[in-house]
Amino acid sequence: MILDYIYPVSLLASLPSPGDLVELPFMRTALIELTLLGVAGGLLGAWIVLRRLAFFAHAVGTATFPGLVVADATGFSATLAGLAVALGYAGGVERAGRAGRDPGDVATALALVVALALGVVLASDVFESGAAVDRLLFGTALGLDAADLWVAAGAAALALAATLLLGRAWTAAGFDAQGASAVGLPLRAADLLLLGLIATAAVAALPAVGALLVASLFVVPAATARQISRGIPALLAISVAIAVAQSALGLYVSLWLDVPPGPAVAVVGSMLYAVVALTRAALASVSDPVPVAETT
Amino acid sequence: MTSVSGDAPMEGAANAVALTDVALSYSGRSPVLDGVDFELPPGSSLCVLGPNGGGKTTLFRALTGELTPLRGRVRVDGRPAYLAQTERTRLDFPVSALDVALMGSLAHGRWWLPARRSDRVAAHGALERVGLENRSGDRFGELSGGQRQRVLLARALVQDARVLLLDEPLAGVDPASGERIEALFRELRDEGRTLLVSTHDVDSARAFDRVLCLNQRQIAFGNPSTVLTRAVLEQTYGDEIVVLDDDGSGGPVRAVTVQHHHH
Repeated sequence: MILDYIYPVSLLASLPSPGDLVELPFMRTALIELTLLGVAGGLLGAWIVLRRLAFFAHAVGTATFPGLVVADATGFSATLAGLAVALGYAGGVERAGRAGRDPGDVATALALVVALALGVVLASDVFESGAAVDRLLFGTALGLDAADLWVAAGAAALALAATLLLGRAWTAAGFDAQGASAVGLPLRAADLLLLGLIATAAVAALPAVGALLVASLFVVPAATARQISRGIPALLAISVAIAVAQSALGLYVSLWLDVPPGPAVAVVGSMLYAVVALTRAALASVSDPVPVAETT
Repeated sequence: MTSVSGDAPMEGAANAVALTDVALSYSGRSPVLDGVDFELPPGSSLCVLGPNGGGKTTLFRALTGELTPLRGRVRVDGRPAYLAQTERTRLDFPVSALDVALMGSLAHGRWWLPARRSDRVAAHGALERVGLENRSGDRFGELSGGQRQRVLLARALVQDARVLLLDEPLAGVDPASGERIEALFRELRDEGRTLLVSTHDVDSARAFDRVLCLNQRQIAFGNPSTVLTRAVLEQTYGDEIVVLDDDGSGGPVRAVTVQHHHH
């Protein structure tokens, strides 16, 4: 039929059943994996956005690329290799940026460029990684196994426990670092814990979303939630809800269009961010509220 | 008595704050503030005067322990509370007045654990004391300048600090709020707390027990009547000071500072 030659129509005709996400075993595994990562990414993302660590969160994932290339070529554990590089990277960035309190942008960018270049050289000239590069950079829904699920579950549990226990310290440090330091909060310890946790959780996300698109889970949902939440508890809850929803939707798109889940989740998340931002702007221009200042 | 620098506590430690020939610098470079030497008894108030870059903030950093002295000793009774100019806090941060007051409870240790019920009770009590209990759920950044200053005072009350460091607490605060804050300052002093207040408002310095003038070194320290003279103020501020009335006796004068903008 002529309709078969019209791309959008054939694309719509190939829409999979949403039930496939739970009925197909590999999709079920990927859905559980991304839901767990959504919890970790949503919670830590809130702190990442509040502490202005979005660039670091993106960079720490990307920085693991050379480690992943070596692990892939030598048969070494990708998780352990990624973790070693990510934690080393987090420590280096914290140290380089200590004078300025927040991890320095320049230090983050320099280390990011070096890591990416090293990964490319290793993949193309040393190990000739070939097709594996795509998987390492953008993740895969295929080939996720029980070990990946356990690592993702560990990241979600760590993120939840850390939010419950350390949330008030991170809040105080982000609100007024000098005041928090005067109160007696050990800023460096609190910051190192946050950076280390982001690095660890980013490594957990590597198999599913790849080294380049960690921010799709760890920055984008929280940035969307930040636009519509007033307090930190609401930000945390909405961020997790968005992360889980965009993960499921992204996975569905990935199944439909036969693309890796990383880019699909990233595109869905970014579109959601844009819709929320545009809606807010439209509502603001309609209502144009005038804040009432109180002076006593 | 917490010793920020040195080891042995001062003998017969009766002072809330004691600095002995202190020199301060950043990253071990040449001192940005030198020859600071003064003592404050508990329940007293100190006005810190000086031009921008004169060393007021550097002094506060030494008192909070953030900066280790290059030379000399800094001693403070307990851990001081630091109240930044509220514009320097992150006004876009989604915290309520209660959240900010609760931050004072981090001083009681256990920073790696959630706040306890007793911490919450203390935070509500502190907000009530500064007259903001009915605004406890409001976003900090949406409060007026005076209200924000009172919330930071509530944080200091929860911390139960004996020494409070306040950076321009009345800058950008309307007169009604200013009076309320000054009344709170008097109450805190009556409780035996020690207040160190940095300001550009030379005229307001008369209301303090002591005045400290800094311009990269300690220019003067003492009672307002002996410190607020034309000679000391000119040494402190250079051409940034305008003396309003001077009877020529060499005694205290009224003066205002003017900011010169260099292009």
